[in-house]
Formats: sequence, C-alpha cells, structure tokens
Amino acid sequence: MSPEMFAYPFLFVAIFIESFILVTLLSKPARDARMRGPATILPTVAIIVPCWNEMVTLAATCESLLALDYPKEKLEIILVDDGSTDATPSIMQSFAPHPQVRIILKENGGKHTALNAGIGSTETEIVGCLDADSFVEPDALREIVKCFIDENVAAATAAMSIHHPKNMLQHMQNAEYTFGITLRHAFASVNGLYVTPGPFSFYRRSVVEELGGFRYGHQTEDMEMALRIQQAGYKIENAPRARVYTKAPDTLFKLIKQRTRWTSGFLRNILGEYRGLIGNRRHGALGMLVLPSALLSIGSSILLFSLVLFKLTRHASAAIEIRTGIPLSYVMTPHGSFDWFYFPASLYLFLGAATLLASFTLITIGKRIAKTPGSLLFGIVSYTLLYAFVVPLWLINATSDVARDKRRGWRY
Amino acid sequence: MSLTARNALIALGITVALVSTVIYAINYLNRARVAELSTIQDKIAIEILSLDTQFSLLSAAPCDSAASSTTLTGELADLGTRLAYAEDQLSSDNPQVLQLKNQYSLLEIRDYLITKQLAAACGTKPPVTVLYFYSNAGDCADCDKAGYALSYLRDTYPKLRVYSFDYNLDLGALKTLIAVTKVQNSLPAFVINGKQSYGFTSLIDLEKKFPKGSLATSTPKL
Repeated sequence: MSPEMFAYPFLFVAIFIESFILVTLLSKPARDARMRGPATILPTVAIIVPCWNEMVTLAATCESLLALDYPKEKLEIILVDDGSTDATPSIMQSFAPHPQVRIILKENGGKHTALNAGIGSTETEIVGCLDADSFVEPDALREIVKCFIDENVAAATAAMSIHHPKNMLQHMQNAEYTFGITLRHAFASVNGLYVTPGPFSFYRRSVVEELGGFRYGHQTEDMEMALRIQQAGYKIENAPRARVYTKAPDTLFKLIKQRTRWTSGFLRNILGEYRGLIGNRRHGALGMLVLPSALLSIGSSILLFSLVLFKLTRHASAAIEIRTGIPLSYVMTPHGSFDWFYFPASLYLFLGAATLLASFTLITIGKRIAKTPGSLLFGIVSYTLLYAFVVPLWLINATSDVARDKRRGWRY
Repeated sequence: MSLTARNALIALGITVALVSTVIYAINYLNRARVAELSTIQDKIAIEILSLDTQFSLLSAAPCDSAASSTTLTGELADLGTRLAYAEDQLSSDNPQVLQLKNQYSLLEIRDYLITKQLAAACGTKPPVTVLYFYSNAGDCADCDKAGYALSYLRDTYPKLRVYSFDYNLDLGALKTLIAVTKVQNSLPAFVINGKQSYGFTSLIDLEKKFPKGSLATSTPKL
C-alpha cells in the first residue's frame, strides 16, 4: 500500500468540511445574519482592555475605542493593568480624563483575573474584551450589539484581520484570519463556535456571572469561556462586519509559540473538562461536526506533513544521488517536454488542489463578507507557499506538550 | 431534519460528486495515455518495417554514405522517455506497457544491427554504440544513476548511440542479444563497442570505458 493511501480519507474530510461551510453560508440563518438591521435599542456596554506590559500599542487601542460610533453614556472603557512592569500604567493615566474611561490597577494574576476585575466593576448589560494590541473600526460595536437581540445569545465574536501585515509570515496570517471570518460566520449559523477570541468578543454579563466568570482555561480563557457557554446551552453569534485588527507575530519563533499555546489550550480543554461535548448530539454541529473535525485536522495535518516531508526527502535524496558527478550545467537545465502525456494525474494531487482551491474561495468570501479593505493577493500567495509547512510545527509542538504535560509561558 | 444534518448531507453529496469527477478525470487521462501508447506502438511497427526496407534497398544499391545510416536515434530517445513515464504511471505489469517495451526493444536491436551492418557494407567507421542493460525489479541499486549518466552522454555527444534494455524482459530477440554479447546478470551492464563492463561508480569512470577520442562534440570548442 502506497503512503498516499493514508492521506485520502483526510483529504476527503477536508473537502467535506469546506463544502459544509460553503453550503452553510448559503443557508437562511447565515443569510439572515448578513442582513441584520441595526439594533433599535442599544444596550449598555463595557469594553475591558486587559493589559500586561502593553506600552507600545495601548494608546492606539484606546484611541480606536474612543472613536467608536456608540452613545457615550452607554459605553464604558475599562483599562485593567495586570501588574505591568513597563510604562503601561502611565499611558493608562493619560486617558483618565475621558469620562468613559475607568482604570483598574491590580497585581499580576493573568488575563482571566484582569477580565474578572473589569466585569466585577461594571453593571452594563454587555461586557466585551479587546486585547491591547488590537484596534477596531468605528462601526464595529454597533455591528456586535445586533447579535444580542436574540435573548439566547450569550456571546458574539467579530471579524478579525491582521493590522498592517508587513512580512510574508504576517500576510500568511492575514489570509488565514480572513479564512477564519468565513469559518466563524458559517459555524455561528449552526451554533458551532468554540472560541470567543480576545480581540473584540462580547458577552452577556448576566451569563458570564451565572457561569462564574473567566477561568485560567489552560492559558486560553477565551476558548474555555466559549466552551462553558456552549455546555450551558447558550448560543455564540458572530458579527461578520464588526471589523477588528490585531497585531500578528512577525517571526516564525513567536508565531509557533503563540499557536502552540492556542493548540495545547484547545487540546487540554477539549480532552479534559469539555470532553463530553465531542460527539454529543445535544450540541448539534459543535458536538457532531466542528469539534471532531478540529481534532481530526490536528492529527491529519501532522500525518500529511510527515508524509509530504518523507516523500520530498526521499525524492530529493534520490535526485541528488543520481545527479552526483554530472556537470551542473546539464543538471540545472530542464530536459522534459511540455507534452500533455507527462501530466502527473494522481488522485492525491487533484484532491490536494481541490482542497487548496476551496480554501482560496473561502478566503475570498471572507474578505467580501467582512468588506475588508486592501488586497489579499500577497496573503494568498504566502498562505499557499507557507501555511502547510508551518502549521504542523506548532501542532507537533502542542501535541507533544500535552502528551508530556509540559507547560509554557504565556508571552510570545 | 435539522439544518446541520441537511447541510452535512448536501456537503457529503458535493464531496462524493467532486471525488468521483476527479477519479473519472484521472481515468480519462490514463485512457488517453494508453491510446497514445497505441499510437506509439503503431509507429514502432512502421519504423521496424521501414528499417527492414531501408536495409534491403541499401544492400541492393551502391553504397551511399549519406543514406547509409539510420535516423532513429532522436525518436528512440523520445519513445524511451515516454515508455519510462508510462511504466511509472501505469505500472510495469501493465500488459500494454509490456508489449510496447517488447516492441521498443526489438526496434532498438534492429537499429543497432542495421547501423552496424551498413557501416560494414560501406566500409565506414561505425558510430560508438552503448548497449545498456538495466533492471527495475529492485535488484539494481545503481541503474538510475547509470541511466542518468548515459542520458547526459547521449545529449552531450549526439553521435553516440545508446540502446537501453530491461535485462529481465521476456523477449526472444533480447535473450539472444544477451547471449551473443555474453552479458552477465550483474547490473548495470554496458557493452561499449562490443566490450562488456559492469557496475557504475561515476561518470568519469564510465567515460574511461569509451574508446579514446570517441566522446567528442560535433562542434569545435571555442
């Protein structure tokens, strides 16, 4: 049996999931979500900005919050300093004169404690979080609050993009985040979201308090809270036009560290306290489709990566061995012809191409749904060239950490 | 039926349809490749007949050095490349591939013999000829390296004639050629201008097996 045979089931599942997303996007709930009218009654909202050594980006984050198009008497901005050791507290103080801004200084206890401190200090109907390295569009909050018209909605997520991507790695992440916009929008239509990301996710305060506030959640408090909300039977919505921009890691090392934390957090939560959600029919798409496929994608990515690496290494070493001793001028000259006869028609190649093509489609759809400005061409090129090779690095890292019960630091 | 179940069923239908289309497209391409092989087979049959006729005509006519050589070298190389690719894609057990390989080997033997006989009849110096015996049954570790080195030599020295044979091919004429040239089952094996040698270490060592001055380009070096 050829090694490719192992890849076929996973490629089949990948195409199935992409088809499911496309079909769900065309379904009535997703269409209705895109057509949502403005909220007639605006709820009171508190946006918490948890900070730990965020002196570089905090001011811009606060400026973008102050520029939100929302009635000032209904919007509170709570800056929580979680024991920073840099100039973060003094930057916070420069925003103290704004009547909407409140500042809380506390000892370092982790992001979840900063969020709980913010929630404990407010009486608003809705509470939200914005990481101190993220920036919002002025209309983002009005887009978000539309989701809470439905009484059963406990949380809502935004449409994230990368803030000013510069290098190839950041452009790759921008394409990935745009893919995420489509994914989140589709899965929200069938209540299949299992993470409410730090950049601009909102919660019904009464539900958060009912559930006991944020927890450490294996360094992924946003995922843990989302899973708890789902477990309690509430809905998590998505506002695909609430645009938020976040800073992305600019080196491979930082990216691997960040994603290792996310993936190991997912594995620890989902294989631990929230194991009961997997395959649970009561939780519909989340239990039967989203969580199993998320777990499967970790295994399949590692397997496919190993397979491709094995084949590439074998072919490369054979090619080098065969060409050793032959003049370089001959070796470097292409000798094949462009005859259709030599077209490499293999199921593996065709299914891989179909998966990639569907990914491009979903990225393009994400950009259109969120009306994200700018070109994604370089992002898609970077995504095509890099993504499949870098993702397995943190998946392997995270899986190994979970298997060995190794814990890493939070910061990248 | 819930929305999720309905969407999952539709997605499953799309996936099955897509995968079926891909499988159909691959089969279609492979069928077209086999049809191309049939065309090559017909071409080889005509070439064999043409070689015979060419030999009959030249042996009955005064020797003309311009006409007294076959012109199949380039075509043989092209056919050989296609055959190797088809063997890789459709497997070496494919009956059509095997038949084509038999015919190809036969054509090579005929070209080799006629070239030799014409040179003898005309009293001209025969071109440097390499009979290369390989195996793709997994028992010849250096065959790929030897094959690539010979491709380099053939492309670099156009007057060089390289004939490649699968040592394990069940073809009477090939078995006779192996017996006549006294080639042992120690592969890769080469018969360079009638002299046997075995094994491949490097291009330099292979070049040393050629008669002195035989590996020269047709165009003078600048």
